[in-house]
Amino acid sequence: MDIELVNRPGNTAAKVVLQPGEICTAESGAMIAMSGNMDITTTTHKKKSGGLMKAIKRMVAGESLFLNHFEPKNGSGEVWLGTTLAGDMEMMELDQDSLIVQGSSFLACEHDIDIDLGWQGFKSVFSGESVFWVNLKGKGKVVVSSFGAIYPVQVDGEYIVDTGHIVAFNETLNFSITKAGSSWFHSMLGGEGLVCKFSGQGTVWCQSHNPISFGQSLTSGLRPRRV
Amino acid sequence: MSTYNVNVTGEISPYAQRDTVIQAFAKMANIDEQKAEAIFSKGNVTIKKGVDEETAVKFQKALDQIGAVAVIDPPLPGNESPLSFDEPEPITPDSAPEASSPATPQQVEPQTPDPRGYQFNIEGRPDYAFLTVKIPANETLKVEASSMATMDTHLKMKTKLRGGFSRFLSGESIFINEFTAEGGPGEIGIAPGSPGDMTHLYLDNNIVYLQNSAFVASTMGVAIETKWQGLTKGFFSGESLFLIRASGQGDLWFNTYGALIEIDVEEDYVVDTGNIVAFTDGLDYTITKVGGYKSLFFSGEGFVCRFKGKGKVWIQTRGVSAFSWWAHWYRPVEKSNN
Repeated sequence: MDIELVNRPGNTAAKVVLQPGEICTAESGAMIAMSGNMDITTTTHKKKSGGLMKAIKRMVAGESLFLNHFEPKNGSGEVWLGTTLAGDMEMMELDQDSLIVQGSSFLACEHDIDIDLGWQGFKSVFSGESVFWVNLKGKGKVVVSSFGAIYPVQVDGEYIVDTGHIVAFNETLNFSITKAGSSWFHSMLGGEGLVCKFSGQGTVWCQSHNPISFGQSLTSGLRPRRV
Repeated sequence: MSTYNVNVTGEISPYAQRDTVIQAFAKMANIDEQKAEAIFSKGNVTIKKGVDEETAVKFQKALDQIGAVAVIDPPLPGNESPLSFDEPEPITPDSAPEASSPATPQQVEPQTPDPRGYQFNIEGRPDYAFLTVKIPANETLKVEASSMATMDTHLKMKTKLRGGFSRFLSGESIFINEFTAEGGPGEIGIAPGSPGDMTHLYLDNNIVYLQNSAFVASTMGVAIETKWQGLTKGFFSGESLFLIRASGQGDLWFNTYGALIEIDVEEDYVVDTGNIVAFTDGLDYTITKVGGYKSLFFSGEGFVCRFKGKGKVWIQTRGVSAFSWWAHWYRPVEKSNN
């Protein structure tokens, strides 16, 4: 599986070239174009377990839970992957280690990598924002996307990142959801709300912009929807 | 012996008329007026290089006589040769400097204006493309309605209802505005509605289909029509019902939302309907689903466009409707009273 990132950093797209027998797993809706010989199968997070009902339950919870698996028939093939929002992408290689990716930042990975969409390491209720996390484990390539630029932060000791700015991080890091300021009152007032405190050694990849903040800034300009 | 370059600064002597200077210059250099005009409006163009002091002075004098300001580079601290101009060569490159980004520009076409077409410049690629076109005197440019950003004061705008009623149905804008450079050449700056890339094609009696919001501008030789896609094709695509058909001869500019990728289709290629920008005539297309029925509803891809044949497809890395859907969740909620 060859991955090339083009048009970085503003409107990045990933070109994935697959040899016969190779399978690329991508987030649903990410495909923008592909060669005609590509086969798509759509599954819920685990290929074997987890029925459709389970998947629908997740959908209600606001998670995009379907994954598309691309496999070329007769010969090699290519797939172009893109995102909804403007921004960059980053390719990472896992070697039997584990990477935790923020749900909307996950774009694609090699088939050999184990994807656990239901990873509940964070107390989702606590994080307030409807974020979910994907735990990737195994050996192979992973592509993550960001809203805006993407930058790695080497953590040695402790580091705080706003939950809306996390793209991915090594599982070697310990983390806890906490408040930004010294008191809850100030944290909420300061608009920072909840942040993620990492400790230990590892890398956190952050995105320069918070999609939820951007979405909220659009709200006043949009027509109301009825419920 | 040191050599000198003679540069035209683009300035005109206060005692001379710009038009007459350009005419005289064109005659002297044996080039057409359009080219001469381009040299003067660009400014700082080397018209003679690597000559000795005396020749340089001679050129400068000759230019001064017709009213053009010329400088000798490097400035003067001397043989006889006839006045023969070199091919005009710009000193400053036409294109905007590339931002230091890891962008890979290999899949975008070089922006060299076609010698048969108008002079233009696309700046801010690939994320925020902005088009500047020089319209020759008394010629007309078709521009997508409401995308004119800047223009010279003598350009006259006329709104034309192109394609009649079907243009109404294609959504987007129903109008194409025509800008005519009355009396003399003029410049127009065009900013498309969505941030993204832009490209230029010179049509030479071939046909290109554009997705309906991709059209930016074209010269009068290009016929712009909306083409009925056929009910099934458009209906199921959930995107635009219409394609714009551009045919004829002349310049055509189109833009994208997100970056632009050019794909050479050899036999078979699939593109998400929301990511199609344009494609050439030789391709046959059908709107189909990907995978099985489960994929249809849950893959997030819905319907795709399958191109068959040999030709080119231009795709965009982001989709406007996908973005609208994303923004949908941020709409304020209005509680219905009943």
